[in-house]
Amino acid sequence: MATMTSTTSPPAPVFLDRLKRVNWTPYLFLALPLALYFVWIIAPTLYSIYLSMTDWDGVTAVPNFLGFANYQRLFTDRTFNEALVNNVRWLAVFITVPTTLGLGLALIFNQEMRGGRWYKISFYSPLVLSLPVIGLIWAWVYQPRAGLINSLLVGIGVQNPPGWLADRDLAIWCIIAAAAWRQVGYVMVLYLAGLKNVDPTLVEAAIVDGANRRQLFQHVILPLLAPVTTIVVVISIIDSLRAFDLVSIMTAGNQRTQVLANYMYIQAFNNYKMGYGAAIAVILFLISLIFIGFYLWRTIRDELEY
Amino acid sequence: MTTAATTGVNTRSVLGVSANRRRLGEVPKYVFLTALTIIWLVPVFAALLTSFRTMDDITLNGFWSIPSQFNLNNFAEAWSKARVGNYLLNSFIITLPSLFGMLFLSSLSAYALARFKFRLNLPLYFMFVAGTMLPFQILMLPVFRLTNSLGLYNTHLALILIHTAFQLGFCTFVLRNFMRTVPGEIFDAARVDGCNEFRIYWQIMLPLSLPAMAALATLEFTWVFNDYLWAIILLSSDSLRPVTAGLATLRGQYVTNWPVITAGALLATLPTVIVFVFLQRYFIQGLTLGSGK
Amino acid sequence: MSRNTLRFLVVAVLLAAAVLAVAPVLAQDFITYNSYNGDPTPRAFDEKVVAMWNEMHPDKPINHSIIAHEDFKQAIRAYLTAQPAPDVLTWFAGNRARFFIDRGLILDFSDMWQAEGLDDVFAPGFTALATVGEGKYFMPTSYYWWAIYYRPSLFEKAGVKAPIETWDELLAACDTFNAAGIAPFTIGTRFRWPAAAWFDYLNMRQNGPEFHINLMLLKESYTDERVKATFARWQELLDRKCFIANPAAYDWNEAVDFMAQGEAAMYLMGGFITDTYPDELEDDLDFFRFPIIDPSIPVGEDAPTDGYFIAAQARNPEGAKEFLAFLASKEVQQMAFDELGRLPTRIDVDISKATKATQQGIALIQGADYVAQFYDRDTTPEMAEAGMDAMMAFWDDPASIDQLLEELEATRARIAAEQAGQ
Repeated sequence: MATMTSTTSPPAPVFLDRLKRVNWTPYLFLALPLALYFVWIIAPTLYSIYLSMTDWDGVTAVPNFLGFANYQRLFTDRTFNEALVNNVRWLAVFITVPTTLGLGLALIFNQEMRGGRWYKISFYSPLVLSLPVIGLIWAWVYQPRAGLINSLLVGIGVQNPPGWLADRDLAIWCIIAAAAWRQVGYVMVLYLAGLKNVDPTLVEAAIVDGANRRQLFQHVILPLLAPVTTIVVVISIIDSLRAFDLVSIMTAGNQRTQVLANYMYIQAFNNYKMGYGAAIAVILFLISLIFIGFYLWRTIRDELEY
Repeated sequence: MTTAATTGVNTRSVLGVSANRRRLGEVPKYVFLTALTIIWLVPVFAALLTSFRTMDDITLNGFWSIPSQFNLNNFAEAWSKARVGNYLLNSFIITLPSLFGMLFLSSLSAYALARFKFRLNLPLYFMFVAGTMLPFQILMLPVFRLTNSLGLYNTHLALILIHTAFQLGFCTFVLRNFMRTVPGEIFDAARVDGCNEFRIYWQIMLPLSLPAMAALATLEFTWVFNDYLWAIILLSSDSLRPVTAGLATLRGQYVTNWPVITAGALLATLPTVIVFVFLQRYFIQGLTLGSGK
Repeated sequence: MSRNTLRFLVVAVLLAAAVLAVAPVLAQDFITYNSYNGDPTPRAFDEKVVAMWNEMHPDKPINHSIIAHEDFKQAIRAYLTAQPAPDVLTWFAGNRARFFIDRGLILDFSDMWQAEGLDDVFAPGFTALATVGEGKYFMPTSYYWWAIYYRPSLFEKAGVKAPIETWDELLAACDTFNAAGIAPFTIGTRFRWPAAAWFDYLNMRQNGPEFHINLMLLKESYTDERVKATFARWQELLDRKCFIANPAAYDWNEAVDFMAQGEAAMYLMGGFITDTYPDELEDDLDFFRFPIIDPSIPVGEDAPTDGYFIAAQARNPEGAKEFLAFLASKEVQQMAFDELGRLPTRIDVDISKATKATQQGIALIQGADYVAQFYDRDTTPEMAEAGMDAMMAFWDDPASIDQLLEELEATRARIAAEQAGQ
């Protein structure tokens, strides 16, 4: 920041000059986007926070104010707790499996190799399919009677293959697997881009210093990829907390696959409990903020060093 | 399946700098990768195959059997009778203005946040970043009421506005971080030449940011194009619906006729595929710009 | 992308936005009509009715939108509170309609009801469904029956006598079919409601319709011994493997395939099953009343009634009333009866040419002491959601029923208290 705006003039006039200039120019630039953002995002969010303390049914003009009653109820709501656990599972899988697999693939494809381009395209092709389409396809893969997996299992002589989405213990993992399938390509693309920015001289220097592969990876490449990892983690968090489409398409939240976003939607739009649904959304937002808080804290630290 | 694969991958390759030993490692690597790729693509191929088959064929021989014949009837059916063509047009009418709107507006806010020191800088930046984490369901009913009171309910403009606004956070986040990587000397020189801030933004920063914006545009295109929920909430006329919401109608209409449904789904996917194929470079270049410092 | 291109694009965007803002200008006399008839056969019928109207009234054409069923149910509140709302909408009778009527979102069309003389041509039960207080808010136009659909050929093959009339016969039939390698019942519970039909029937047969409807109205407790007895019956069926494996993997029409392909013998389903059932196999499809458990108990049946209402904020209420009158007309009900097999709510529809199946369905309903709508239409949406969740959890783990019922009871008590407080 300082490097961009610093000038060589003496201190006092600069200060005054800045006060005059800086005070309004950025706000002029910000006026339009902020206005739009405020009207469509901030105000509705605040309104929803207010709604979460009411019994609004989406229709009545003036809802009753309940204070934190909706939040208290969440603690004893079994489906809510189930959804919370499922979101945590989703998150745990998302920041481990697709991340490592995506990184591994990126490391492979970063080398010159025959047909590398086609392999890459294969892995990120799921990314262009919309989630409803992915949900449809995977619902058939898991179909117990004629689906891909069970056809194969029956073919090799398995007597009672699992019901997958119909099995209440397996269903959520099946959905997460489908989501992870899509995510791997995403992570791979991100890391590939990150590897492109890795300065080869640093790697060469490490090799000259006698680093073995493990050391090279652990002490040179991984730290250099840290900014990408941050982005990957942020995206994984966003995606796993907002997870909605696949659940809604594959099981409609039944079979113990409820996730917070879908449960909120069901409460608000199916049960006409907008206040309660808003409370779920607020919780979801607060959880997101815990994770983003870490990111922001890091950013603040970096910003202040400027 | 995934964890085993991961360890296999990590140990075998580190940036490919050791050229000597590469030859020997080639064969198992290719076998492994090819196998993995095939497994990876099975669902996609299955969808493709299904869309060329007839339902009778599937009922008779099973979903994963070799098709007895290929035809394009399902696509024709989905395009005209199931109105996928019409839905696609709506998708573009919604997506393109949203895209340009969000890029233009976020370049303004990103410029302000990247180039100026002012008290609200960090708070506003964090507000945008936090906004990207917002579960959008929280906005649904308030936004519905808002469009309603503005008289925008059941118009494409309502969708354009909410998409633009909702993606402002992410775009600002990415562009602001990109703009901070631009060396300040360029602007100092421009200011010495007497350029005002708006001209610096318009004539220097925007052109410099084009690669980042192109990358963002690719990414955002797939996001906005694939949106489904806002369309359901803010539109009541089937004739205005974008293709993702239209697919839901199609699923009802063709119940268990998978071939027509997948054909429709693939048609709906086509624009994002095309964008991806042609703008792949931008997509890959730009995705990490947000983290570049 | 050059700088000039970018500028051009920005300008194009602004222009496009401006154009779109003024785009949806509708001609004054349009009537908007939103319906949930997504399935192929009802959809074709729906479109045909609209085409008929448009031909008769070219000056006030229908602007018709068909929305997928599940989407429609969730978007309805948006439709009804929109400015302007769609004029005419499809909906369900019972609690689901009352919710909106009580909140003043539905137009009272008593004047049209009077003018058309509908009191004289609607059966009293349906007039009651239309009426809230002094006003007429809901136009019931058709209903259908629920029954156990079966394939006579499979019954013959396994040596089971149809119809199955008692509980013991039902259990015996399950054993016989299983021994023959045929699943007794198919069911697709991906969206849960086909399971709710089982609850409705078991509860009505076990405890009588009066208890059932009081339970739906949240006046009876879910921890009542009688509810437990209902689930005990259900458990008997599960223990005997009366249902196909993994029902939750299929939605209701996918589960039809088990029957069509001869792998399952029966399906407890609404009359609309014939919309989906393969035409070439319909000769081999019949149905009978859900078996009686206790002959001393009055017989209740599920017969959900569908219909239409007009949004209170309709843009074109006069046109809406005209169109509604048309939808309720003898002509349209006759068509729905002839082509879809939906039973008419008017008494003046000619049912003499009814197919054997339809006659049988009418007899089934007329033979009932009480007619319920359906679990998720008779009770509140929130209760239905919790109830159907519990049914699916029970299906998976019957031993957990006591705990599930305690949770349901807590939900019921809370909703009842909220209702009393309003």
